[in-house]
Amino acid sequence: MASNDPIDLRQDRREWLKTSAAALGASLLPLPAVTGKQPQAATPATHPAASAGHNKPTGGFFAPAEHALVEELSETIIPADSHSGGAKRAKVADYIDQFLRGSYDDDQKALWREGLRLVDLMSRHYHRKSFVDSSPDERIAVLQVLSDNDHMTDLPEVRFFIELKRLTVRGYYTSKIGIHDELEYKGNRILEEYVGCDDQGTS
Amino acid sequence: MSEPETDLTKTYDAVIIGSGAAGGMAAHVLSSHGLQVLLLEAGKKLPIEQELRSMEWPYDNAHRGYLPPESHSLTFNEYTIRNPPYGAGLEKAQHLRSYVGSSDYVKNIVVDERENPYTGTNYAWVRARCLGGKTNIWGRLALRLSDYDFKAKSRDGFGEDWPISYSDIAPYYDKVDLYLGIMGVKENLPHLPDSIFQRPQKLNCAEVTLKQSLQKMGRVLTQYRAGVTSEGLKHNKYRSRCYGRGACERKGGCDIHAAFDSPTGLIYPAMDTANLSLRTNAVVREVTIDPQTGKASGVRFIDSQTMKDYTVRAKVVVVAASTLESARLLLLSKSRWHPNGLANSSGHVGHNFCEHLMGPGVTGRAKDLIGKPSTLDDGRPGGFYLARFRNLSEKQPKFIRGYGFEGGSGCSMFPRGTDTHGFGASFKEEVRKNQGAYISMGAFGEVLARYENFVDLDPVVKDKWGIPALRFRYKFGDNERRMAEDMKETAQEMFEAAGFEIVHVRNRVLTEGWSIHELGTARMGNDPKTSVLNQFQQSHDVKNLFVVDGSAFVNASCQNPTWTIMALCWRSCDFLADELRKGNL
Repeated sequence: MASNDPIDLRQDRREWLKTSAAALGASLLPLPAVTGKQPQAATPATHPAASAGHNKPTGGFFAPAEHALVEELSETIIPADSHSGGAKRAKVADYIDQFLRGSYDDDQKALWREGLRLVDLMSRHYHRKSFVDSSPDERIAVLQVLSDNDHMTDLPEVRFFIELKRLTVRGYYTSKIGIHDELEYKGNRILEEYVGCDDQGTS
Repeated sequence: MSEPETDLTKTYDAVIIGSGAAGGMAAHVLSSHGLQVLLLEAGKKLPIEQELRSMEWPYDNAHRGYLPPESHSLTFNEYTIRNPPYGAGLEKAQHLRSYVGSSDYVKNIVVDERENPYTGTNYAWVRARCLGGKTNIWGRLALRLSDYDFKAKSRDGFGEDWPISYSDIAPYYDKVDLYLGIMGVKENLPHLPDSIFQRPQKLNCAEVTLKQSLQKMGRVLTQYRAGVTSEGLKHNKYRSRCYGRGACERKGGCDIHAAFDSPTGLIYPAMDTANLSLRTNAVVREVTIDPQTGKASGVRFIDSQTMKDYTVRAKVVVVAASTLESARLLLLSKSRWHPNGLANSSGHVGHNFCEHLMGPGVTGRAKDLIGKPSTLDDGRPGGFYLARFRNLSEKQPKFIRGYGFEGGSGCSMFPRGTDTHGFGASFKEEVRKNQGAYISMGAFGEVLARYENFVDLDPVVKDKWGIPALRFRYKFGDNERRMAEDMKETAQEMFEAAGFEIVHVRNRVLTEGWSIHELGTARMGNDPKTSVLNQFQQSHDVKNLFVVDGSAFVNASCQNPTWTIMALCWRSCDFLADELRKGNL
């Protein structure tokens, strides 16, 4: 990704879908390919990926390797900074995992499986390594492709990105870190008098 | 308050169907007149404080305050591209809720759509079957109507005038204000009459900026007139005053009942008179008719849990099941005397159906507030109301009637602005720095009451209890579309004039029904040929039948209806009690 020009996702994806075939059997995320309509049985892969997450949930929707990937993806959406912790510390991946485990929506579940697989393929295409093994800048570069092309909602990886951002935002800003550390929310307590503006504009 | 076993063997003075704003008010007024009253509610009596949990932090909730993921609440997209009944294709969801049911605090208050299907044109029909109905979760904006509404036909020629004037209902608005409590500021506007207000909340700084800018245009922004008691109500032990606790923005209600709801505001105090009996889980399927006289003799209902059928007798039947359910019940109550449905010799039951148009609006940022430390802005029942300014002294060339805006500004528990494009460190910082600078408002406009917009009974589809479903034949028209265009333009102009940076202008009109202000399906009038009820919400055809909810409205106005529903109902029930005493019913 040497060029600074925005990447046309529709052109590029032919390439990285091709490389995926070549790379199959190597160290790809052990995820079954899923088409949109196929109901996804709860068969989390057990292949021990090298970068399996340490926050491994029990009986979750995500397999350990998927969970590790979601942690890094969500942290790329909302990273830690000097002001407060990011999505990883706020355990956003656990929230998403729990949400999907309970979901009735097989299409949504399938989109997550497929999306995780496709994002990892993109990472391997652009950087020759998995998303989890990439540097923060490399991770940003992959998601930037999706963000720049987020009008292409016919593509599953784009729909996945939108869904990833939606649930990351929801999980983060409803967490203790999001509400108290990041936003420094002042409400939800007894308030004798609403302060408002000194000038009530009645002049 | 105790809840005695309901006696179904005696003849009540009045049976009331529905326990929302109208049914609760009817129960309050009739029981204070000493009548023996039975109140029937189709839904459950919920442990409402446990449902609402107004101060629960999202992270202490298993679903972060959202609907559990095994259930589904309908989206704008689904209301648009699917057709009712909306359950088809969503069978895998454990429960299916209307769009309002997207919160964990509301999920048991709104109905399961699959148990309560409807058919016809697209409509976002929000129903709350439980004691108190939608008042448990209402938006709290409590506005009066004026003669600009009651005499709208005299002004522009469209539709019909109401059979009452503002002076007829004003004393009853006063009674509602004093009995239930309302916060606000006097503005002396002829088209938005003042209430008897308790101590108002304040505006925040972006709202003041907008207010001052609008003053130069001759437009009035006022504090949200909330049906909330800021000073407490000495006569009511079930309600607390408002403590500005800050969960008012989320979908849910007030678990200390500072905001009005029908059970604590009206029904429990009425039960303390010992004149009121309550039966929940009573799905009324028919108003029964005395075969000798053609008058109402009582009602037939199904216990929603046991599915057993019951009848109960009453001298007067008071229908308060909500605009659409009341119309449905009248149409269901066919008899030899009333082959066209009850109270329907005019053929107007279900027709002249109207409401408020929603969707157009604007979001902006007050630049001077960007990057400031966070402030407490959601510790109040609402932000502001911008009063109607169209078709008052001037005449718009493109549409008749008017609209107002509801809006607010500042920090909230869940930040505004998470729809900011992009991701990463800059996204996070932008959300944080802008969180207190956002200001937004959305319009509520009058949808014209047209005979052609109506509901009737579906010949095939039935609900869980075997009762024929309602079928919608209802669409916004050209006046609404042209008004929506104007809403969008004026919203943007007003924000630009106030110096706000425009973030987003919304021109999308939301699905019919979205405002949850459905009205007009059994309108009042002086002529029995073109109206269902007289000025006291009494059926022209059946003297001992009253319909006291929003179905009696002659037009929708653009002001929120709840306070008017209750004022009208109070007036009608005073009349009812008097007529019953005189033996005229």
